[in-house]
Amino acid sequence: MFLAWNEIKKNKLRFVLIIGVLMLVSYLVFFLSGLANGLASLNREAVDKWDASAIVLTEESDKSLLQSTMTIDELDGIEAEEKAVLGQINAIAQTGDKKANVSIFGIEKDGFIMPNVIEGEEFSAGNEVVAADSLKDDGFKLGDKLTLSSTDESLTIVGFTDEARFNAAPVLYGELETFQRVKFGEAAEANSDQINGIVVRATGLSNIVSDDELEVIESEAFIENLPGYTEQSLTLNFMIYFLFIISSVIVAIFLYVLTVQKISMFGVMKAQGIPSGYLARSVIAQTFMLAAAGVIVGFILTLISGAFLPSAVPVAFDILTMIFYGVILIGVAILGAVFSVLTIVKIDPLKAIGG
Amino acid sequence: MAILEMNQVTKTYGSGHKKVEALKETDFQADKGELIAVIGPSGSGKSTFLTIAGGLLSPTSGEILVNKQDLSRLNEKQRSKIRLKEIGFILQASNLVPFLTMENQLNLLDKVKKGNMTKEEREQLYIDLGISDLRSKYPADLSGGERQRVAIAKAIYSNPSIILADEPTASLDSDRAYEVMELLKSETKNKNTTTIVVTHDTRLIRYCDKVYRMTDGVLVSDGQPAT
Repeated sequence: MFLAWNEIKKNKLRFVLIIGVLMLVSYLVFFLSGLANGLASLNREAVDKWDASAIVLTEESDKSLLQSTMTIDELDGIEAEEKAVLGQINAIAQTGDKKANVSIFGIEKDGFIMPNVIEGEEFSAGNEVVAADSLKDDGFKLGDKLTLSSTDESLTIVGFTDEARFNAAPVLYGELETFQRVKFGEAAEANSDQINGIVVRATGLSNIVSDDELEVIESEAFIENLPGYTEQSLTLNFMIYFLFIISSVIVAIFLYVLTVQKISMFGVMKAQGIPSGYLARSVIAQTFMLAAAGVIVGFILTLISGAFLPSAVPVAFDILTMIFYGVILIGVAILGAVFSVLTIVKIDPLKAIGG
Repeated sequence: MAILEMNQVTKTYGSGHKKVEALKETDFQADKGELIAVIGPSGSGKSTFLTIAGGLLSPTSGEILVNKQDLSRLNEKQRSKIRLKEIGFILQASNLVPFLTMENQLNLLDKVKKGNMTKEEREQLYIDLGISDLRSKYPADLSGGERQRVAIAKAIYSNPSIILADEPTASLDSDRAYEVMELLKSETKNKNTTTIVVTHDTRLIRYCDKVYRMTDGVLVSDGQPAT
């Protein structure tokens, strides 16, 4: 630490530049992780909020809620601690000149997927809905009458709930009949037993359905099969993984260049009997200081710029993930320092004396 | 009492008709309190001699005893320990760590080794060498003479039994060179250590107790210099 710290103190500019590079890399990593997290919750937060273990859909729907249709009678064939029926349809909701792509969920009020209401009240009559609070950002408010794109029905927002977006669309929770009226129009009466799926909480998932035409899909698998979800998260995660590799290479190159410049100095120190181990530890300690400083500044910068972003940018910072990525960044930086350590160990003290 | 002993030490580089005998069979002995000069033109093998004596280079044959320990039987790690404990090097240039202040050059030794000078001894050393005012100066801010004096302080600070100096006066003018030799002489006498100075500068021999001459890998005693 002694050598490492004194060298940084003496060559401030050089090390500030290295910290700057590390800071930018970590800033990018943190921001991408925020973006990946934000985009993911855009797709999945409604499902996460159910805290369900699985969803039962028809086998032929290929894990798509929208394509799955079944009757409410299937409920009896499912063995699970808790079950809740779910009907779903997408629509464009409009009030005044405000439009929004929404996902309408038809549920039973006593089902476990009934959302908490943070503003207004629960739906209690037909065509009343509890809406995702993200709609408020688009200018929707309590009491708004929403006309829908595919039907003559109109819905009224009576309450708001948080964390209710599904596949990038804000959710409107309403009664099953409300959903059926939107979906089937005048034929709603005749289709009053039609639902899309059944959400379950159960300890074991293997034997909960006996019907061959039904498929039990674990919540995580269900989310991964949402259109575009896996592609999107893979893309962002790949970028983050590559950034880890890139930052380790950058640090390795920087430190290697610094070390090569100091070969004769290390040689003199080794000639004087200062052990290679001490010099190696000093390089590792220095890398740790640089990486930690870069990551911490990047972390603070990320949070500051996050606070100034418009709500349209789907960034959601998960502090735990960021800390985890920060630790990885410091780890790969130290990995990058290993090359320099190997160089130091190999320096022949004789060369330093020009013997 | 012999602190450094070399018995039938040889060093050859290469093999076959390219074989170069850098050091022919050499016997050498240095006692406590002696300031010894090894003089010779460049390429005569005096650097080879110094690096072997300092445990930086293994001889082709023969044995080197530093404080009764045979360096030729030790591996690099053990020799590194001997260097740290027993030997102080004063090298031609870049002996100092560029990013450490004068004071920290010595503090570094405290980090890796025990048995260095006490605080009082250290203050006295600063005064003896006339470097008390240079504590917080970096090597780049020092003149050649000051740098060499700090290098000497660094070599002496760890209380070595042997000080090996490679052209310690190379970058200095005559006055400074004599000053440095005076210093080495007084340190050698006061601390009862052994100092071996390798140089091509024959003007320095009058400070030394013994003089050896190195020619084409052969070390010959010149006896005591005429004062």
